[in-house]
Amino acid sequence: MIESILGLVRQNKTISVLVFGFLTFFSVTYVLASATSNFTQTINAGTLSVDIVDASYVTVGSPSVAMSAVTFSFACQAATGTFGTASQVIYVKNPDAADNGWTVALAASDPTDVWDSAGTDFDFNDSTGSGCTDGADADSLGGQMTVDPSVGTLAVGQCASCVTTNVTKGSSAPFVQATTDSITILTGAAGSNDIGDWKLTGVSISQTIPAEQAVASDYDINLTLSVTAS
Amino acid sequence: MQNVTISILRFVFFVSTLVFLVLPGQAKAIEYGGFGGRPANPRSDNPRTESIFIYTLEPGEEKLDAVTVINNTPERKTLLVYAADSTPSTGGAFACKQFSEDKQSVGAWITVSKSEVTLDSGTNETVPFTIRVPQSAGVGEHNGCILIQEKKVKNENQSGVSLSVRTGLRVAITIPGDIVRKLELAGFTLSDKPEGYLLHPQVRNIGNVSIDADVQVVTKSVLGFTVMEHGGEFPILKGEVSDWNFELPKPFWGGWYRSSFAVEYDENPEASVGIQSGKNLTLLKGDTIWFFSFPTIKGLILELLILVLAAYLYRNYRKFKKHKYAVKNDWIDYRVKSGDTINSLADQFNISWKSLARANKVKAPYALEVGIVIKVPPAE
Repeated sequence: MIESILGLVRQNKTISVLVFGFLTFFSVTYVLASATSNFTQTINAGTLSVDIVDASYVTVGSPSVAMSAVTFSFACQAATGTFGTASQVIYVKNPDAADNGWTVALAASDPTDVWDSAGTDFDFNDSTGSGCTDGADADSLGGQMTVDPSVGTLAVGQCASCVTTNVTKGSSAPFVQATTDSITILTGAAGSNDIGDWKLTGVSISQTIPAEQAVASDYDINLTLSVTAS
Repeated sequence: MQNVTISILRFVFFVSTLVFLVLPGQAKAIEYGGFGGRPANPRSDNPRTESIFIYTLEPGEEKLDAVTVINNTPERKTLLVYAADSTPSTGGAFACKQFSEDKQSVGAWITVSKSEVTLDSGTNETVPFTIRVPQSAGVGEHNGCILIQEKKVKNENQSGVSLSVRTGLRVAITIPGDIVRKLELAGFTLSDKPEGYLLHPQVRNIGNVSIDADVQVVTKSVLGFTVMEHGGEFPILKGEVSDWNFELPKPFWGGWYRSSFAVEYDENPEASVGIQSGKNLTLLKGDTIWFFSFPTIKGLILELLILVLAAYLYRNYRKFKKHKYAVKNDWIDYRVKSGDTINSLADQFNISWKSLARANKVKAPYALEVGIVIKVPPAE
């Protein structure tokens, strides 16, 4: 039987085309299929999540926010940065997991944390003197970070039919230890898309640096971006 | 034999092509990567329990439940699973305290059976937890969180802000007793933005439980047309002031507008998180803000064009009215004689034949019957 088919294939172009199409189809589609052709499909339960992704929606391994470099100064000054860029997009996904709303908030991984360097440190949540001097909290460092999501650009993600209606950006706010440990970035109301994804870029970050802060190139701080079903 | 084989091959090709065209639609999967969790045992009487944990527990009571920890990322991940107290975020939004922070409220009441799970891509695991409500727990709502966070090693060489992400599930525990559900309006402001306005309503919860409130901000033109509606249902946590930033693009036409703010909520103590009693819906109406907005550039150009067109039409209308008045009051009667045509009469009375025909409603082919009386301009 097989030999006769092969013989026909050699002689007849029509059959060659048919066999080629047949083999192409089965080589592509039935890679994982069993001989009985019982199709199985599992769709895993989705989960509300937030992530930092690149322009292709691929998770960024070590997301970061670079702050503008400032020069040593005898006066209090500010460094600025942008949270959410074209290559590090704040990305929220709700695959029908938080129909009644959610919140994305930014907070330090530890409210007692500071901008740490090998030399001296400075604070991110001390409101004394508009962040220029020490006083409001237990540490002996000045400095305050202000986050302004309201200037950011909100857009829908991969979901073509989704809208940004009922998703609102948070207000500008500074971190104040024990008073404002968490700053709202985005809020999704119950009326936002039950199945949807959104991306936010251009959140402004400003950090007040106390006067005469020691020169260092390795100041760093750990922040946590949370999405919470509410 | 050859014909039979060809027939078999044709049949197989036809069937396989048909299968190829029909089945892919059923095999498509939606990609929703990410890690997080969901309540493992949602209750059928409260759909909200599909997203968050909601309990009514007496002081001293113990409750066993579970969270399904999910890893839909393309990688195997080790995820921390932990409880934490809630904390208000700015704008009165719900947020959770950090892993590093001491637990003093609901976070301390929850004991998670596993502190971390390692999941392959596309898998999940149910992690049980126990809630033990202390005898001292006061009446009203207490909130906490169960969080799923990737276990990461800090990159020591990185400067600037290092970011971690996590997903939290609210745990709302109500201790029965004298439940008070009450909201009050705390303010409503409007501020300019580069390309429009920011509407900023504020609501304060003065009760002892959170309330899901329907916030409505409606902007109308001076003529009463609705320009935009903002709002939605938001949870307002007890003791907190919630506020929202609703962006209003600059109205196209410009002019005077008014934005009004209202909040509707269920005041009945029988209502709870995710459940409306439907008995005491209360509507709080806030201030109305009037504001003037300049039109957009396109709106301004269009408005000028409309103005010019309106002026032109008005001028023509005035001309027409004047002409009509003249025909009625100044023109005299003329009896058509043999040999008169519309053209000859137009020439005779120094007027265009079209005006003469229009004034006397003479239709094509503009023939004039001898003996009829028509209106003509008075002789100079």
